[in-house]
Amino acid sequence: MTEQIPVTVLTGYLGAGKTTLLNRILTESHGKKYAVIINEFGEVGIDNDIVVGTDEEIFEMNNGCICCTVRGDLIRTIGGLMKRAGQFDGIIVETTGLAEPAPVAQTFFTDDEVKTKTKLDAVVTVVDAKHFPLRLEDSREAEDQVAFADVILLNKTDLVSPAELSAVERRIRDINPFARLHRTKKSEIDLSLILNKGSFDLQRILELDPHFLEDHDHHHHHDHDHDHDHHGHDHHHHGEDCHDDHCDDPTHDHSHRGHAHPRHADDIFSVATVIDGPVDPEKFRTWISGVLQTQGQNILRAKGVMSIDGAEQRFVFQAVHMLADSTWGQNWRKGEKRQSKLVFIGRKLDADALKSGFEACKAA
Amino acid sequence: MSETVKLPAKREFDFAAYVSGAAFSADGETAAFALGSGIVKLVTIADNSTREVEAHNGASLSFAPHPDGTSFVSGGDDGRLVRIGVDGSLAEIGKAQGRWIDALATHKNGGIACGIGKEIWYWAPGVAEPKKLGPHPSTVAALDFSPDGSRVAAAHYGGASIWQVRNPASAPRKMDWKGSHVAIKYSPNAKFLATTTQDNAIHVWRLANGQDMQMAGYRTKVKALAWTADTRYLLSDAADCFVCWDFSGKGPEGQPPVEYGFGDGAGMTGIVAHPDSGFVCGGFENGALRLGDMDSRRDLELRAPADTQKPIRAMAWSPDGWRIAAGAEDGYAVVFDLKNKS
Repeated sequence: MTEQIPVTVLTGYLGAGKTTLLNRILTESHGKKYAVIINEFGEVGIDNDIVVGTDEEIFEMNNGCICCTVRGDLIRTIGGLMKRAGQFDGIIVETTGLAEPAPVAQTFFTDDEVKTKTKLDAVVTVVDAKHFPLRLEDSREAEDQVAFADVILLNKTDLVSPAELSAVERRIRDINPFARLHRTKKSEIDLSLILNKGSFDLQRILELDPHFLEDHDHHHHHDHDHDHDHHGHDHHHHGEDCHDDHCDDPTHDHSHRGHAHPRHADDIFSVATVIDGPVDPEKFRTWISGVLQTQGQNILRAKGVMSIDGAEQRFVFQAVHMLADSTWGQNWRKGEKRQSKLVFIGRKLDADALKSGFEACKAA
Repeated sequence: MSETVKLPAKREFDFAAYVSGAAFSADGETAAFALGSGIVKLVTIADNSTREVEAHNGASLSFAPHPDGTSFVSGGDDGRLVRIGVDGSLAEIGKAQGRWIDALATHKNGGIACGIGKEIWYWAPGVAEPKKLGPHPSTVAALDFSPDGSRVAAAHYGGASIWQVRNPASAPRKMDWKGSHVAIKYSPNAKFLATTTQDNAIHVWRLANGQDMQMAGYRTKVKALAWTADTRYLLSDAADCFVCWDFSGKGPEGQPPVEYGFGDGAGMTGIVAHPDSGFVCGGFENGALRLGDMDSRRDLELRAPADTQKPIRAMAWSPDGWRIAAGAEDGYAVVFDLKNKS
């Protein structure tokens, strides 16, 4: 097994502070060399790193999967970079502000060479605290970028009031409750918090924020009425965030939960569900492949960690649209409660159907 | 192989960098290996000596014999296309700042073509300034000259384009097929054009009438194609054996391919065909190399597989057909001499 080179994908809407972050990565002394793939030649500080400019080329796959698109330029460029293996420690892909994250993520699911030689370490999204609410109104990409993120830098926090900041953080949490969120100014952050985190690694899924699923039931019973009352059309259970007032995770904002903004029919939200105990792997495979086949276009990401009878390891699953991948993860710890958890982030999700579908996968 | 066979003599090298290209001089007396370090290694067969040329500031991404027969052409991620003589000389053919030159084709009649973004740059024999052909719908992924050198075909997103190099102002012939096309190969009799696609398939057009066919069933993406000299078989990498599509008679439509030379399940990562007989040579992801005989459908292991070995990434057959050069990701390189037994 050859060692896989970690890839960090940097996304963020125009002006959010993505290039500033990239410059920090390239100029700070962290002892690592990166190959950087950029879509636009800007003022990038190049020290001893490899910088490659490519034109974004989105290719549809000819495999009957209509939403399956890949970034042809990334496949080519990563293939070429592999010829220089040993000359760098990691790859950073900077996407344009308007780039859709799905084709980037899907490239790491579909191309054999890319899959063998690299692993997607994390999708890092930089969000402009001041302008994000406006971006949500006028661009689907800004919302998608947050939905796909493993790590979010809520940037330019010095340009907003505390009230604005908590409002924008709530909007982000509505879209993506499980990304690691850091508040920053001028993209200043300890780079060890964003690079080589293994955030996208199947082994670590859902360990990033163990709270938000654990108090799922609590949240469900106490908060959802409010949700339903607020939006007559809404049969979705969104905002599966940490609503625990005793939660000590500093990334969580526990004040004034709920949705202050009107929810549009195609807003992104998440659905999380937990089974106490193991799932039947065959039932799960059959069910999830049907879900991805029929609703894959609306599912931006899905992640799951499951217990399976007789297996000491966690079964970990993830999907981007219709593409799914699964593997065996870390062993369950001694005495640990073996739950099976599954999360979807997407649009127009039928939360009740997804939850009851997953619950029906429970091992007999 | 059960019976005892004498193996061809070989000379082996450790070049300590990814071997991304291999080629022979016209007389077969110099084998050249292009590396991911940007260095080109020249092996003189007669005295087994090697010399090196620093061709690129970066990696060599594409490599081919120069039409003059006594030098080689290398395209790099430094945007340079250079000529490397068997004597170790180095000259720049062209430069495109900030571009990667990973699609390259040469023809013994004198043409050199490389992909620069969505364009082809074509150098006619003896002309210093390239003609620019394109743009294509996407970055040019691969190029091949027609057997007589009069046309150059480009693989790209949405199919292939065939250009008449003597008349570059004329519109290209478009061979449409959805998806991303990544490799391209004319048949030796010029009747077929084959591409491979991102969707683990091969696409072939009959050039007489534009009729096309699709060959699928591969587990992974096909990256290398080879036609036998008589255009009877089209072979590919990506399987764990020699997969041979038979183009005799009505062609491969509705017929399963001939398959032989099953090894240990490792996937093939490179394939070349003998210039005028029915022999083929495949390289594998575990570093193995196997010689196949299309007539007997038997194979001979030239290099044994091993877990410690890296995938074969570059292969070439000498013009006279008596030598094979191959190189791997870890810098291993070898030249087999088929005339001499070890």
